[in-house]
Amino acid sequence: MASQTPAVVMDNGTGYSKLGFAGNDSPSFVFPTAIATKGPAGGGGGTGSGRPAVANKPNFLSGGAGGHLSGKRGTEDLDFFIGDEALTAASGPGYGVHYPIRHGQIENWDHMERFWSNSIFKYLRVEPEDHHFLLTEPPLNPPENRENTAEIMFESFNCAGLYIAVQAVLALAASWTSSKVQDRSLTGTVIDSGEGVTHVIPVAEGYVIGSSIKSIPIAGRDITYFVQSLLRDRGEPDSSLRTAERIKEEFCYVCPDVVKEFSRFDREPEDRFKKYDVRQPGGRSVTVDVGYERFLAPEIFFNPEIYSSDFLTPLPNIVDTVIQTSPIDVRRGLYKNIVLSGGSTLYKDFGRRLQRDIRHLVDARIKDSEVRAGGQARSGGLDVQVITHKRQRHGPWFGGSLLGQTPEFKSYCHTKAEYEEIGPSIVRRFALLGGPGST
Amino acid sequence: MLLLDYQNVLIESLLRDRLAPDASPSSVDQIVSDFDNVTFHISTPESKSKILVSITIKCWKELVTYGAQAILDREYGPYIVQPEQGYDFSVQVDLDTMASKPQEEKDELVRRVSLLKRNAMAAPFEQAFDEFASLQDQAKNYSSETAPQGVREGGEVRAIHYREEEAIYVKASHDRVTVIFSTVFKEETDRVYGKVFLQEFVDARKRGVQNAPQVLFRHDAPMELQGQPGLRGGRGENVGYVTFVLFPRHLTPQKRDETISHIQTFRDYFHYHIKASKAYIHSRMRRRTADFLQVLRRARPEEADAGKERKTASGRTFRAQA
Amino acid sequence: MSQSLRPYLSCVRNTLTAALSLSNFASQASERHNVPEIEARTSPELILNPLTVSRNQEERVLIEPSVNSVRVSLKIKQADEIEHILVHKFTRFLTQRAEAFFVLRRKAVEGYDISFLITNFHTEEMLKHKLVDFIIQFMEEVDREISEMKLFLNARARFVAESFLTPFD
Repeated sequence: MASQTPAVVMDNGTGYSKLGFAGNDSPSFVFPTAIATKGPAGGGGGTGSGRPAVANKPNFLSGGAGGHLSGKRGTEDLDFFIGDEALTAASGPGYGVHYPIRHGQIENWDHMERFWSNSIFKYLRVEPEDHHFLLTEPPLNPPENRENTAEIMFESFNCAGLYIAVQAVLALAASWTSSKVQDRSLTGTVIDSGEGVTHVIPVAEGYVIGSSIKSIPIAGRDITYFVQSLLRDRGEPDSSLRTAERIKEEFCYVCPDVVKEFSRFDREPEDRFKKYDVRQPGGRSVTVDVGYERFLAPEIFFNPEIYSSDFLTPLPNIVDTVIQTSPIDVRRGLYKNIVLSGGSTLYKDFGRRLQRDIRHLVDARIKDSEVRAGGQARSGGLDVQVITHKRQRHGPWFGGSLLGQTPEFKSYCHTKAEYEEIGPSIVRRFALLGGPGST
Repeated sequence: MLLLDYQNVLIESLLRDRLAPDASPSSVDQIVSDFDNVTFHISTPESKSKILVSITIKCWKELVTYGAQAILDREYGPYIVQPEQGYDFSVQVDLDTMASKPQEEKDELVRRVSLLKRNAMAAPFEQAFDEFASLQDQAKNYSSETAPQGVREGGEVRAIHYREEEAIYVKASHDRVTVIFSTVFKEETDRVYGKVFLQEFVDARKRGVQNAPQVLFRHDAPMELQGQPGLRGGRGENVGYVTFVLFPRHLTPQKRDETISHIQTFRDYFHYHIKASKAYIHSRMRRRTADFLQVLRRARPEEADAGKERKTASGRTFRAQA
Repeated sequence: MSQSLRPYLSCVRNTLTAALSLSNFASQASERHNVPEIEARTSPELILNPLTVSRNQEERVLIEPSVNSVRVSLKIKQADEIEHILVHKFTRFLTQRAEAFFVLRRKAVEGYDISFLITNFHTEEMLKHKLVDFIIQFMEEVDREISEMKLFLNARARFVAESFLTPFD
C-alpha cells in the first residue's frame, strides 16, 4: 500500500516546521516548531512520578467532546497544541509553550514525539503505516539522535519506511531546479540562513565536510532588530518588531555599493523612499517612512560592523575561508556551486553581491600567487558561482520533496522490517539519495 | 487532541485564506493525502481565482454503486465540474463569484468542500439508514413471526473496501443498522494494545455510556457477513471484526449526519490512540531511565575537591591544584 | 511491599554483595588482555558456581560470579500478553541506552529479560554497596513501572472508548 502513497516530507527546524508531501512544490503546512502543554513554560516540568501535574482547569480538547470527560486523570498528555495554535493557546492562561528543537537539534524528545503525532494525525492526516517518511537533520547531528528519531518513527508510529537526510544536502538538491545548474552534483557550498543563525556548510559528493562548517551569529532576527533600531532612531510612529519584520520582507534588497546607494537615494528620493501603512490594533492606521534601511539592513551580512561589535567578518570572507579549509580536490566544485537556502537569503541581488565579493577575494589571491611565482605560472582562473533559485525559502523541504518523489526513493529508505531485524542502529547509515548512479 | 477532525485541515485553511476579503489570488498545485487511501489534488489550472479540488478514493467504484454520486450532487451541485484526469470527482470554487457573497455562505462552502471525503464515504451509510427507515415502516405491519423474509433478515450488506486489507460493512435491518469494521494489525504491539482498547469499547456501554451504540468484537467473521467474498478470520490471524450496532436513536434525521461523520473516523481514531499511548509510554520510559541513571550515578564516589572549580571573591573561577 | 518480596530482595542483596568480591585479573589466555572472565570463560577454575534466586515461577535472578566479573540476569514478572509486551519494550528501551548505564549488558542472557555485567573496574570506580543498591532498586521499580504502565493503558483505553462513544448520544 505504501508503494502508491506519496512520501511525507517533514523538515523540523529550530524556528519553523515544514510539512508536506513529496512531489509538491511547496510544503502544505509551515508553522512554528512549538508545542503548548498544560502548566508553565520552560524546564522539564517532570515530577518523580513521571506525570505532569493534574489539570484542574477545564481543558480544551479538540473535537468538541471535552465536556464531562475533561479533568479526568491520565489524559494530560493528549492535551496540547502545536504550531500556531500553540502560540495562541499559550497567550491564554493554563498553557506554557515549549520549543522542542534548539540549535537545530531535538532537545526534548517527549515534546517532539507529541509534536510529530499531532503533525501526522491532525495536519497531514495520514496513517503512518501507509507512508514513507523523509525527515531532515542538521549537519553534525549525533547518531544517537538519529536512533532516537527512528525509535519514535518506527515504534510509536509504525511508519512504513524512513529516510533521514541532512538539510544542507537537500538544499543542494533543491538547487537542481535552477537553470544555472547543469550537472546534478551533490557537491557545493550551502549558505543556510534562517531566523536564528546562518550556516556555511561545504558538501562533497553528498557528504558534509563537518570540520569546515562555520556559523555566523547574524540571521533573520538580527536584520529585523536592525531595521527596528533604525526606525526607532528616526522616531517613526510605529516601530514594533512586527512592522520591522514586514518592512524587512517587503522592501529590503542588497545594493552593490553602500556609498553610491546613499547618493542615489538623495538624487531620486521619490523613487527610493517608500511608505508603509501599518494597521495598528484598534483600527488606527499610521504611515511609516521606509528609507535607507531598505539596503542597509541586509548589508549587515557584508559589513557586520554596522550592526554588531563582536562579530566582524563579512559573509563572503567566511564562505571563502570555509572553502579554503576544505580538501583541495573539492574546492573547485565548492566555488562553482554556492547554493542559497533559507528565508534570509531571499533579498534581491543577495546572490549577485555575494558572488561578486567572493570572486574579488579569489581573484586577488590568484593574482597574488601569480606575482609571487614571478610570472612563471599562470592560473586558468577559478569559477565562482552563486546559485539563486525559486525554491530557496524552503530549500531543504523542497529538496526532500524532489528526492522523495523519485521512484527509487523507497528503496533507499529503511523499512520497519529492517528496523525490527537490526535495531535502531540501522539508521546510522543511509545510502546516498540522489548521489552518483541515480537519476 | 482527542477526537480527529472530520474535515481536511489543509483544504479548509487554504480555502478560508483565499476567500478572505483582502486575500490576493495566487496559484496552487498540491497533491495531498488523507486517511483511508484518499488523495486530493488542489490546483488552479485555469486561472488563479478558480480553485479545483479533486479527490480520488480507493473504493470509489463501490461508493458509486451505493449512490455516492447523488449525495455529492446534493452537496456540491453547482460547483461540480468534469472530474480531472486521474481523479474520481472534482469541484471548482470560483473566487471571483464568491467574493461578493456574504461571509456565512463562504464559510458554508469552506465547510462543505473540506468535508469532501466525508461526504463521498457517507454514501453507503446514508443508503443503509434510508433502508432502515423503510424496513422499520414495513416491520410495523408484522409481528416477528409473520414477517416476510426480507424484513426479518434486513437489507443487503454494503461493503466498502477502503483499505487494502480492511473494509467497512454496513447492513440495515428493521430495528438497527450494523456497521462492521474489519481490522488488521500489522504489528504485535499494536495488536495487544488494540485488544485492550477494543475490550473497553465493548465494555463502555455497561459502564456509563448507555445510549451509545453497542460494540462487539470477535476474531472470526460475524453472522451478518456470511457469504461476503474475501473474508479472513479465526484465532490464528491478526484479523478482528468490530461491530457497531446503531440503534434507532442514533439514526434519527437530526443525529444522522453526525453519526455518519463520527463512525467514519473510527479506524483512524483507534489507531491514533494506540500510537498516542505508545508515545506516552515512551515518555514514561524516558523519565524512568533518567531516574535509574540518577541512582547509578550515586554509586560514583563524590569527586574530590581537587577537580572542582572554585570561585574567588571577585567572581573569577580557578581550578585548585591537586 | 508484598510478603515474599522483602526476603527475596534481601536474599539477592546478600548474594550480590558476596559475589562482588572482584579482583583485577589479567587474562591467562592472551597477553595484555584483561577481559571479564564470566563472558570469556577461558578457564573453568576462574568461574564460580552460578546461583539462582527465585521468588516464584516467573521471577528469578541468576547471579554468575567469576574472579573478576559478575553477571546478574533478571527475569521480570509477566502475567499476561500486555505485561509481556511492556517488559519487552522497556528492556529494549534500556538496553538501547546501555552506553549510559555502564553496567548494563546490551543483550540479555538467554531465558532472562535483562542482564547486568559488573567487572572489577566498575567496583573500583564505584561504591560497591551503591551498585548493589542500584540493582535492588531497579528490581523493585521495574515491577512497579510495568504495572503502572499497564494501568495507564487500561485507563487510557477506557477513556478513549468512552470519548468515542459519547458523541453518539
